Amino acid sequence: MNVLRAWIEERLGLRAVAAFLEKKEVPRHKHTIFYYTGSSILFFLGIQIVTGVLLAFYYQPTLAEANASVARIVTEMPLGWLLRSVHSWSATFMIAIVFVHLLGIAFTKAYRKPREATWITGVLLLAASLAFGFTGYLLPWDELSLAATKVGTNLPKAIPVVGAWLTGVMRAGEDVTGDTLSRFFIFHVSVLPLAVIALLGVHLFLVQRHGMSVPLEEERKGAKGPVIPFWPNFAYREAGVWLILLGLLVTIAVFAAPGLGPQADLMAPAPEGIKPEWYFLFLFQTLKLFPARILGLNGEIVAVLIMMAGMGLFAFLPFIDNRPAERKGKVIAGLVWAGLAYAMGMSIWSLL
Amino acid sequence: MNERRRLVSVLTVLALVPFLLAGILEARNQDAPKAPGEQAAVKAPEQETAAVPRPPKERMAVYVLLAWVWLSIMVLFWLLRLRVREADRVFQMGLRRTAGKTPEGQGH
Amino acid sequence: MKLLYSLFSRRAFLNSLIGGWLAALGAAFISPLLKYIVPPTREPDQVSVPLAEVQDLAAGSVQGFAWGNKPGLLKKAEDGSFIAFVGVCTHLDCNVSFVAEKRRFYCACHEGWYDENGINVAGPPPAPLRRLAVSVEGDALIVKKQG
Repeated sequence: MNVLRAWIEERLGLRAVAAFLEKKEVPRHKHTIFYYTGSSILFFLGIQIVTGVLLAFYYQPTLAEANASVARIVTEMPLGWLLRSVHSWSATFMIAIVFVHLLGIAFTKAYRKPREATWITGVLLLAASLAFGFTGYLLPWDELSLAATKVGTNLPKAIPVVGAWLTGVMRAGEDVTGDTLSRFFIFHVSVLPLAVIALLGVHLFLVQRHGMSVPLEEERKGAKGPVIPFWPNFAYREAGVWLILLGLLVTIAVFAAPGLGPQADLMAPAPEGIKPEWYFLFLFQTLKLFPARILGLNGEIVAVLIMMAGMGLFAFLPFIDNRPAERKGKVIAGLVWAGLAYAMGMSIWSLL
Repeated sequence: MNERRRLVSVLTVLALVPFLLAGILEARNQDAPKAPGEQAAVKAPEQETAAVPRPPKERMAVYVLLAWVWLSIMVLFWLLRLRVREADRVFQMGLRRTAGKTPEGQGH
Repeated sequence: MKLLYSLFSRRAFLNSLIGGWLAALGAAFISPLLKYIVPPTREPDQVSVPLAEVQDLAAGSVQGFAWGNKPGLLKKAEDGSFIAFVGVCTHLDCNVSFVAEKRRFYCACHEGWYDENGINVAGPPPAPLRRLAVSVEGDALIVKKQG
């Protein structure tokens, strides 16, 4: 055994990585719990990849077969329904924890110098996660997912200049067709995974390079506070968190397995009760509230522009919040709270 | 001893929750299995494919699987706790993995 | 009997406990997972071919039918009865064809030949074509697994 280890060490030189991990420390303070969110996201991503590959063994991404292949997985394959349920619920869990991770960073202002690049890659990872959810939602090709995709891909049209073209790119043409399904499929299983792996690589490298950030009030205390060594203390704790999350995931997947609607009919009228996945609900509700015309402009265009402005501000938050310790920082923190309250309120309202 | 008893009782309650949920969901299923199909007359007459397997033997197998998953999670959690406690003790003693480091006085 | 030294360290014992339980957790999913990855594709128990399709078949000629996922071959003998084969070469699973002029079955992949009774006569095939039992029931031919 030791001979094998020596052989590998001579060629890969992994001792350096192990040495780094042994020195890595996790600061201990009242917000330490947020440090668990990053690895939890990674855990769910791993589950998504494994369950996704297994589902793709039998899923057929064509107009004629998509719905039927999902029905086959769910009814004929042993534990196929559980596999699909885990994939669906793990997506929800992952995006939920991505939001918690994001809020933790925003409130502790971990994005401040020198971690701006980490924030930017994080925002891109958020976009990729949402894109995963959006593209995956269409794949069962049932009535609800077709309708939700039609609405979702209609939104970019409101962007000036490039809007219609963007919608054309997403839909592979003017309308949602079998080509749209193929496009969404290849994005979901190939383009997005490659993008996420690349972004994650940079994101994780930056996190290790800069170390774990501490909230402002801890930093102000001056001296280095109490720490937990990453290996093995924090890592074992993370493993415990993973176990709990696994149990919750499998339990919910068993008792709340999603069903499959009838195959989508491109010519049929929209079914009742279409709504996007929960993470898009607040945008959905915001759009519903905007009047058809504002100051002579198309209401939808105004809404989309406002949303894009919001997203832009959000993406460049570290540069806007360049004085985090002062009043400006507190104002921005307040605005983030307000944004959170808005998103939650809108989401709940859309369900009523 | 008190803390351990509390932990065991919490874990037992957690383990019972899935079965409780199962009962509730089962009852709800039996009361209104067709209700969503009756509304929305616009919908095609095709039934929505149910996702959960109906045959009773398979359902029992799934519940057994779930119980096994939770049991092994609890055992692993307890073993991990042992490891975490040990690692924390070692850290507090000022001993680190890398040899040649003198123990520091502070380090919680 | 009291041991003077422990058989393995506490660390090793705990490590194997953790490893063992992780394996147990994984094992619960292994069996259904394996069945999912390689679903059992069973051949059909029997296939029925309407007589109308094969009635006009000339003696000594062959018609195909579907035997599950594999091609089946029905051959009409001189006396009007039918014999059935699974039309899959016993060498490396290519589909075989019937060459009427030679009254032999031919596999194009590696030039294997079978005679009109399915016996392998030339080329790499190691065994004869698999036979299926044929019987007439009503207005259909029932093809079943032999034996």
